[in-house]
Amino acid sequence: MDPVIDVQGLKHVYTDSDNNQVTALEQIDLQIMPGEFVAIIGANGSGKSTLARHFNALLLPTEGSVKINGMDTLEENNIWKIRQQVGMVFQNPDNQIVAAIVEEDVAFGPENIGVSTDEIRRRVDDALRIVDMEEYRTHAPHLLSGGQKQRIAIAGTLALGSECIVLDEPTAMLDPKGRSEILSTMKRLNKEKNITVVYITHFMKEAMQADRVIVMCRGRIMMQGAPKDIFSRVDELEKIGLEAPMAAKFAYELRKSGAKLPQGIITNEELATALQ
Amino acid sequence: MLNITLGQYYPGNSFIHQLDPRTKILATLLLIVAVFLADAAVGYGILCAMVVLIVSVSGIPFMMVLKSVKPLLLIIVMTLMLHVFLGQGEHVLYQWKIFKVTEEGLQMGVKMSMRLILLLMISSILTFTTSPIVLTDGIESLLRPFRVIGVPAHELAMMMTIALRFIPTLMEETDRIIKAQTARGADFSGGNLLSRAKNMLPILVPLFISAFRRADDLAVAMEARCYRGGEGRTRMHELAYRSGDFVAFAFTFAMIGLLAFLRWGPSLF
Repeated sequence: MDPVIDVQGLKHVYTDSDNNQVTALEQIDLQIMPGEFVAIIGANGSGKSTLARHFNALLLPTEGSVKINGMDTLEENNIWKIRQQVGMVFQNPDNQIVAAIVEEDVAFGPENIGVSTDEIRRRVDDALRIVDMEEYRTHAPHLLSGGQKQRIAIAGTLALGSECIVLDEPTAMLDPKGRSEILSTMKRLNKEKNITVVYITHFMKEAMQADRVIVMCRGRIMMQGAPKDIFSRVDELEKIGLEAPMAAKFAYELRKSGAKLPQGIITNEELATALQ
Repeated sequence: MLNITLGQYYPGNSFIHQLDPRTKILATLLLIVAVFLADAAVGYGILCAMVVLIVSVSGIPFMMVLKSVKPLLLIIVMTLMLHVFLGQGEHVLYQWKIFKVTEEGLQMGVKMSMRLILLLMISSILTFTTSPIVLTDGIESLLRPFRVIGVPAHELAMMMTIALRFIPTLMEETDRIIKAQTARGADFSGGNLLSRAKNMLPILVPLFISAFRRADDLAVAMEARCYRGGEGRTRMHELAYRSGDFVAFAFTFAMIGLLAFLRWGPSLF
């Protein structure tokens, strides 16, 4: 199977406001397979958002290459196809909704790529049903909760026909209820519609539910693997300013004090069973 | 603060509400022309009857439409006064020093203020029965033919759409900033005009900074959703004329014809 996202030797350099050359990303090699649920974590300024913007050609590599379903983002002609295939959901729910009516906003993407009127209607209805926002179709977005607005943004990418959705800290500005809404929506889309999900977050609890976790640090990929392997490396995570889940930390501390606990405990349930 | 209604749209399902926005915009323009055609009492009588008819068909409370005259009430009264007291004419009804009230002046004054009132009422029927969003679609569609001479129809409509979307958000934000500044001891109520204007500064600066940040974010989000201007764009809601629209156009042209006949007709015979 070919990867949806194929990053080879990516380097991203930009010029900041003081005219300094800043290297935001370096030596990034990464493949994301169809149907995968990948979480990207890292401290502030570790380059996770910059990396996400390479996935749909909002940023272009200084060196190396990013290929989406085999299409190079540096190739001008590919850009619109790439942006259809990789949908983006951003952090601030208010600043990504364009229209003053929910269904008009979901229709914005397909309207841009010239889909026919009937087909837009069908896609918008489908997308709103999938994210469970049908009853709000004629509402004004500013009256919705943060979680609902983010679901509208997800519906917008679905209506565009995206098979891969990149979410850049979609829950950072939401309350706990909104957070769980978004995560469960994405998990469902991943399972039922086989949509590839790249989920950037700084909530370890969310990252624990991914198939694979990528840890970024100072513009490089520091480690990647199953949540079990990543989160049991408590001290390494702490060194780069990330906090392992409570259970993992607890198990780690107990083991240091001589308790005989198995490796790879990251959830409360696992810890509870191990302690019995 | 959350339930801000923009414009003065009065939701409904009447014949007028269901008309295509283009029909309503064009009919409004034509009826404005009709108002200027009227010059005798009969003409004004017909126009008043027409406005009453349209308002009753639309189901909007009549008083609400009448209230739309309020913002310009001062100008209307002034128009009336100026014509009444300074109008020239033969038939003096009343005189006091240099001021004299003539029959011609009185007629002219009533005519002019009637005109203003009718214009305001006719155009407010448009905004009462058409939501700003639909109105935007109508304007875009009407301006599209003028693209060849450089009218940015799509860009104008997109700007209006985004403005409609963000005005409530920015109002909320203003509210939040005012509260934050008040909490830190700012006083927005007291003082004369100048000091009150100065007091607005700590509200406007953060508001503008945040608006620019939002604009930046929105531009990226729009690009991510394949936005590339109006070229090759389709719409979910395509506007379409229906039979009702032809009825409305027929009515409008009949009105213009009638008023034109009343003005010039008699002299033809």
